Amino acid sequence: MSNDTPETRDKSGRFLSRAAEKAHDLHTVSDEGVHPMAKILFGWTEAKNIGAIMFWGLGILGAFLIVLDVFVHRHDYFTFANSTGFYGLYGFACFAFVVLMGWPLGNLLRRSENYYGDAGGPPADVDPDRPMPPENAHPTYEGDD
Amino acid sequence: MPAFLTALNPGWLLILAGVVAIFLPMRRARQGIAIAAPLVGIALLAMADQNVNHLTASVMGMDLVLYRVDGLSFVFGLAFLIAALLNAIYAWHTDDRVQDGMALAYGGAAVAAAFCGDLMTLFIFWEITAVTSVFMVLGAGTRASYFASMRYLGVQILSGVLLLAGIAYVYKDTGSISLKVFENLAEPGALLIFIAFGIKAAFPFLHNWLQDSYPKASVVGAVVLSAFTTKLAVYACARMFPGQDALIWIGAVMTCFPVFFAVLENDLRKVLAYSTNNQIGFMICAIGVGTPLALNGAVAHAFADIMFKGLLFMSMGAVLYRTGTTKASELGGLYRSMPWTTVFCLIGAISISAMPLFSAFVTKSMILSAVAHAGLPIIWLMLMFASAGVLEHSGIKIPYFAFFGHDSGRRVKEAPFNMLLAMGMAAFICIAIGIPAIVPGLGYEWLYNLLPYREEAMSYQPFTFDHILTQMQLLVLATFAFVVLKRFGLYPPEKPGTILDTDWAYRKIGFGMAKWLGTVWGKVGPAMTAVFFGITGRAYDRIEAAFSPRGELARGALTGAMAIWTAALLGLVLLLAFVTVG
Repeated sequence: MSNDTPETRDKSGRFLSRAAEKAHDLHTVSDEGVHPMAKILFGWTEAKNIGAIMFWGLGILGAFLIVLDVFVHRHDYFTFANSTGFYGLYGFACFAFVVLMGWPLGNLLRRSENYYGDAGGPPADVDPDRPMPPENAHPTYEGDD
Repeated sequence: MPAFLTALNPGWLLILAGVVAIFLPMRRARQGIAIAAPLVGIALLAMADQNVNHLTASVMGMDLVLYRVDGLSFVFGLAFLIAALLNAIYAWHTDDRVQDGMALAYGGAAVAAAFCGDLMTLFIFWEITAVTSVFMVLGAGTRASYFASMRYLGVQILSGVLLLAGIAYVYKDTGSISLKVFENLAEPGALLIFIAFGIKAAFPFLHNWLQDSYPKASVVGAVVLSAFTTKLAVYACARMFPGQDALIWIGAVMTCFPVFFAVLENDLRKVLAYSTNNQIGFMICAIGVGTPLALNGAVAHAFADIMFKGLLFMSMGAVLYRTGTTKASELGGLYRSMPWTTVFCLIGAISISAMPLFSAFVTKSMILSAVAHAGLPIIWLMLMFASAGVLEHSGIKIPYFAFFGHDSGRRVKEAPFNMLLAMGMAAFICIAIGIPAIVPGLGYEWLYNLLPYREEAMSYQPFTFDHILTQMQLLVLATFAFVVLKRFGLYPPEKPGTILDTDWAYRKIGFGMAKWLGTVWGKVGPAMTAVFFGITGRAYDRIEAAFSPRGELARGALTGAMAIWTAALLGLVLLLAFVTVG
């Protein structure tokens, strides 16, 4: 009869409604400091081969959109914009150009953080209880590898 | 509605509430006022008749129009009021009288400036926005923010002074200070006003105050700042310089150059400051084109930008609040502890990237169509380039480096509820104005209905198959470029550092010159003083030697000499008299 007893009582034997329990779980941060919603919403980003999935997924989707363009007769104001895949290729080229320009421009324009002599801490209204940054949290910078 | 309420400019209500808030020590009462005032303001605005002067005054022979609503100012005023409301909710966890009050008055001044009908009133509220907004930067309380706020104040006041000078010229030439469209930039008055607007709109080379101050502002301050000043300048340009050819190129350059800086910049709030620059460029360019479609696009995009840029600043503010930094090199992996902030940031990022079903898709496309209609292929290509750039810095870089990417190991609490609420409301607006009008009058049609050229707006169709296909091509392949560059290690690493911009000219060379002149003066000054005192001292000694009671002339021997001299002079005069008469 009481097959559901374990499910309606928590470990210490108190009755709990399941919905409340679930809601409670959804905003209780785990011991590792991970928010439970993070797993539900963005757990997929931790997939092992997410890089490859993104690469091939977006590549195939992009190719599909360009192929689709072949069959659609668009009515753009400029003739060059009517050519097949113009928007996609132009977008790809612009994006790549902007990012790649980051290398020479970075060498040209980047100076030390205290170049103007005003490097400083965070503003006064940050969370006073914020954890101090973990030691050695970023031994390498993004993209170093 | 009582007469005094119909004549009450919602901006004045906010300013009044702001002044009260500054002196109100009860925290919750103050914050209640900060939330209630914009709500009442929105209600007042909704009931105000358009194209009627609700309140006028005559001062020193000048006719002031203190409250007037029309199709153009309505959208800006409404956006400012909504932003003021969201800011008040976002600031609920703080307890800062000055910040609460000044933020309210700042928003109020922007609203009041949008709803005035003459240049003099515009100038007054223009200056109030400058003076109140500086507290958003000062509130951060750091050394860097202090100096940045002083530079900020200097630039903002300069804009006001130029505006006043321009108004004086215009008043002298035409005898009128009513708001009007200036066509000829060669007139000194028009040119001065144009530059004054250009400073606040952050035209190229006049833009540095923005990137200098916003990232150094307090958590709440940066969110407040993002909404008002630049968009007020956009409004002013749309009011007085529509169809001004110079704006087309200024706007197009504004969309392109910040893109490169945004890629390099490590501080994500500074990336957003460059992004602001870039979005304003779209609006300025559209104002330059000046057709009804273009002006609709500029106004609609300003409304959308206030919402998604506010949302992005809010999400970075939440990150800053919990972690103490917004430097990309120190962040990463925060989705684990701040998933809701991540969701809202992504909505802002997708909105600004003009993804179909999100706000910029229905607003920016009007601008691009208008540029194409006007037959400007190079400008159009520049704006398309900038669109890919927006996707890079605001669409991908901001969320990727803060919430995903390399895990910084930071485990923090999710943002406070009030921040999430404000972000949620902004995110709702970003989506609500971006979706198709399934229910007529809602979705994008709600925004289009409010635009100054309503009929043109309602006949514009953003959701055509062509438009969705081309936009998706652009976004998907540009995102693919990101994945490719990441995969092959070609994406430049995020490194801490200061990226030089043109403010180097005054912060380094100008400051160096001033310092050098100070040193030179420090040496030359005393030397000149010594020479001066040397000369005057010697002169004094001589004079004293001659005329003092102990001096040469006071000696007894001279008394006799004086009598002889007097007699000699008298004789000379007599002689002269005889000669001339004779």
